[in-house]
Amino acid sequence: MAKFPRLITLPVAAMLILSACGGGATPTPGSSGTPASNPPASTGTGASTEPGGSAVTGGSITVTSLWGGSEQENFQKVLDAFKAATGITANYESIRTDYPTVLQTRISGGNPPDVSILPGIGFLRHFAKDGSIKKLSDVGIDASSIAGNYAPGILEIGAVGGDQYAIMVKFNSKSTLWYRPDTFTADGVTPPKTWDEFKTTLATLKSKGEAPLGLGTGPDTWTLTDWFESIYIRQAGPEKYDQLFSGKLPWSDPSVATAVDTMKEVLNDNFVNGGIKAANGRAWVDGIGQVFGANAKASVYYEGGFVGGIATGQVNKALEIGKTIDWTDFPSIANTDKPVTIGGDVIAALTTNPGVKEFLTYMTTKEAGEVWAKTGAIISPVKTVDVSVYPNETTKKEAAQVTGASAVRFDGSDLLPAGSPDLGAQLQKAIAGDTVDWASFESQVATAWAAE
Amino acid sequence: MTQPSALAGPAIQERPTTLSGRIVKAINRTPIHIALGLIALIWLAPTIGLLVTSFRPRSDIQATGWWETLSTLRFTTENYSAVLNAQGLLGSFVNNIIISIPSTLLPLTIASMAAYAFSWVKFPFRDSLFLLVVALLMIPTQVAFIPVLNLFKPLGWTQGYIAIWLVHTAFALPFGIFLLRNFFITLPRDLIEAARIDGAGDIGIFRTIVVPLSVPAIAAYGIFQFLWVWNDLLMALVFVQKNTNFPMTLAIQNLLSQYGTEWHLLAAGAFLLMIVPLLVFFSLQRYFVQGLLAGSVK
Amino acid sequence: MAGGLEPLEPVKDQASLTKGGKAPSVAADRTNRTAALLFLAPAAVLLIVFLVYPTIYTIALAFNRGRQGQFTEWVGFDNFVTLFTKDPNFIDLSHFPPSGAIWNNILWLVFYTGFVLILGLVVATLASRVRYESIIKAIVFLPMAIAATALAVIWKFVYAPDANTGLLNAILGVANVGPVSWLGDPGFVNAALIGAGIWGSVGFATVILSAALKGIPTEILESARTEGATERQIFFRIILPMVSLPMSVLAVTLIVNVIKLFDLIYVLTNGGPGTSSRVIAFTFYQDGFRSGQFGKAAAVAIVMLIVLIPVMIFNIRRFRQASVT
Repeated sequence: MAKFPRLITLPVAAMLILSACGGGATPTPGSSGTPASNPPASTGTGASTEPGGSAVTGGSITVTSLWGGSEQENFQKVLDAFKAATGITANYESIRTDYPTVLQTRISGGNPPDVSILPGIGFLRHFAKDGSIKKLSDVGIDASSIAGNYAPGILEIGAVGGDQYAIMVKFNSKSTLWYRPDTFTADGVTPPKTWDEFKTTLATLKSKGEAPLGLGTGPDTWTLTDWFESIYIRQAGPEKYDQLFSGKLPWSDPSVATAVDTMKEVLNDNFVNGGIKAANGRAWVDGIGQVFGANAKASVYYEGGFVGGIATGQVNKALEIGKTIDWTDFPSIANTDKPVTIGGDVIAALTTNPGVKEFLTYMTTKEAGEVWAKTGAIISPVKTVDVSVYPNETTKKEAAQVTGASAVRFDGSDLLPAGSPDLGAQLQKAIAGDTVDWASFESQVATAWAAE
Repeated sequence: MTQPSALAGPAIQERPTTLSGRIVKAINRTPIHIALGLIALIWLAPTIGLLVTSFRPRSDIQATGWWETLSTLRFTTENYSAVLNAQGLLGSFVNNIIISIPSTLLPLTIASMAAYAFSWVKFPFRDSLFLLVVALLMIPTQVAFIPVLNLFKPLGWTQGYIAIWLVHTAFALPFGIFLLRNFFITLPRDLIEAARIDGAGDIGIFRTIVVPLSVPAIAAYGIFQFLWVWNDLLMALVFVQKNTNFPMTLAIQNLLSQYGTEWHLLAAGAFLLMIVPLLVFFSLQRYFVQGLLAGSVK
Repeated sequence: MAGGLEPLEPVKDQASLTKGGKAPSVAADRTNRTAALLFLAPAAVLLIVFLVYPTIYTIALAFNRGRQGQFTEWVGFDNFVTLFTKDPNFIDLSHFPPSGAIWNNILWLVFYTGFVLILGLVVATLASRVRYESIIKAIVFLPMAIAATALAVIWKFVYAPDANTGLLNAILGVANVGPVSWLGDPGFVNAALIGAGIWGSVGFATVILSAALKGIPTEILESARTEGATERQIFFRIILPMVSLPMSVLAVTLIVNVIKLFDLIYVLTNGGPGTSSRVIAFTFYQDGFRSGQFGKAAAVAIVMLIVLIPVMIFNIRRFRQASVT
């Protein structure tokens, strides 16, 4: 468009004016007296855009993710261990909100972090196709050399178009059905193994008092996508799951509607404590609270392995693993296979500054995995991490569940392209009894796939 | 401030001196008191709820509503210490001030000047340009992110505070110009004309007449802008790219885990964040009470 | 417009009234370009760089695929067509009342703007009659000092669907009215969100209108009273017209807020349940901006702009009358 060069002269003139009169006012950074006790608070100079930025030994890189709070503290231990092992400082920058937007603006603004840990594969593909993320080979890491550290299928998650761009660094199982052992014992039920047993269990629990399922989907519609995926993979099988979440199978396929109907067999006003409308207006943490809070009325809650930490750490500190909180495998549906869906984050390099290769390599080692696993915050995908380092029974079980799975698949909704319509919102409609136009959903998803 | 204004109802020439007179007056006022009481309750209750919540242990917050605490009296200061002890919090508090003050003073000055031009200086296309400025009011800030960051890239301004000062100032201008211009045009023509006849230039008129008479409007705009910048999250996230420069809003967000379930920290953080805005509001209160949009010359 | 009274410049002082008609306007109207330039330059520079240039960029982008904010491929009116015909979340005219983001924005426009203006005036008027006026104003203004994320947590607690954690349901429970899922029931969610929005904005309106009310000269009110006007007449024929200018300013600001509204909805309901509380800005940020489809986002922004232009023009016309030229 030939008009643009003209339009650019105006802002350029503006910039010249601004820099001429405004330049002197830059305050000195670091003069605000931040305590220098922990590496993330101090500034390294590694975040600049010059190639080969920092000095010889040591030097620093920037790592970003959307973790904060205790997750950040736990990850910091890994960064400290990295520094101890290599002398390189990895400065963590948390982008707690609007992660993809902010990351995109930093990339577009020429100030990308060195390493980014991405919470979804849609973003990964997006950034990879734009060239914002470097292939592992560009950073100097040979994918085949690290393949042995991981169970089959794990590394593939970080591959785009045949090239390895990212490596999974942590995950949680999403096939954990949480329940209250005390209520189960009192009501004379045992953890169900199949879907039919599940329905019977729920009915029994209901007859003994309260509607048994805790559920919170508003605004956290993603929790419904997890229900859907767990049902779909067990009902339609891992192959169809792959097709559905890679744009090869349309959402108008009858298997989708079947899975949603199955969902409604348990997610209905009968079994969900408080009813569906209440669930759609409740935060997901309050759903946990319905089952594990101090005033618990319900006794079954489905979400991933991270429920344990949140329940015992925040919702109700009086919980005891094994007695008042525990989990069992999500019930099987079509056959006795035990596939597992996982949700996790992958790490990718945005620059090739020194230190980046070392950091990425370090994150594939047993040592890094164990430092992190010990905190109980995550499950490490590194095969060689010893199960005994996990701090409690529920995380040990979780790690074992994944290694023993018949198939491992990544959280489907995190695989969809970034411009997709909100699957969770449609599922909210479905469980509320409204009809969902899957054909329209499919056409919007297809557009998003095409736009990628 | 405490004189009943002429709006107060039929002109009551004297205050009732007899006891029964006073009682009658109070009864006449009762519906007003009830209505205001209800309003005060509705506007306080949710915030008080959050205040009480900030002193409750996390598990209690999950289990019961905040009013239960009034009976169980189980309070804790651990939420506040968690926030206060978070690394870099003092620094981020200072950053908030460093970011907010210029981001308030700059737009105040620049918008006042532009508003003066739109009200008392005649120039071609004045009204159309004003329409354009007002239209800019609805530009969402996100629209500017990528183009503006591209401009800043070679200048490195996001490493300091210049980027965020400029962006906040620029986005504050449409509202400021709109508000102040609508105030300035109600100032008495005679005063301005008299000054012109006496030979004062525009700068003089601006400095000696328009600004002094407009203190209430400018103060009000200032406080709205200050609050907006102080509590801002998204602009800081995008334009403050060095984490030692992060304001407190970001620092508090960073206390939350990926799922954002630490409401106890958010509650405590919110009140810590509120202290300065409330102080500013109360100390500037008196400027509001004087005629804001209608001039204080009677 | 004011009924029966001079609608022009609000009366400032007795002196100019008694001069008998328009004051001579020569000196004050002298065209002065250098002054204009001087006073406008800083604002102009900032506005052009940070607002006008991105707007033009955005307008151009609306006709493009706009991946990642770059001009990748020209698509003509495609983005607009998709927006209005293929996105039922944006506008769905297949039934009555229509649904979709645009409809929800209309609801907000009418109820939010209306109630904030009315409540603002009511609170300002009532407060002016009591001695604890500034306390009332401070209380109502308080929400404006609270950060957006904290406001969201406040309303989560108020609207929680269980009577033991949700304030509103607990109050209803005292009257034995069953708990309502304020944020999860499509029938209530928009009302609940608009209520939260009103709560947050009344303080802004009250502060502005209260000061405007104080600016009404007492002599006018008293002379009207001594002439026997009732309180009602005074309110509708003197007070209202005199605050109409500030109310217009307020209305424009509120309308702009409505069009840009996003954060409250995103945090409380994410546009749900289902898609029943989505608004236009949702389409802008979620479907366009966050997904990297900036072309589509730009198209939404253009729609927003077009919607607002008539409002702006109406207001400018009103202001022109208020300034005597």
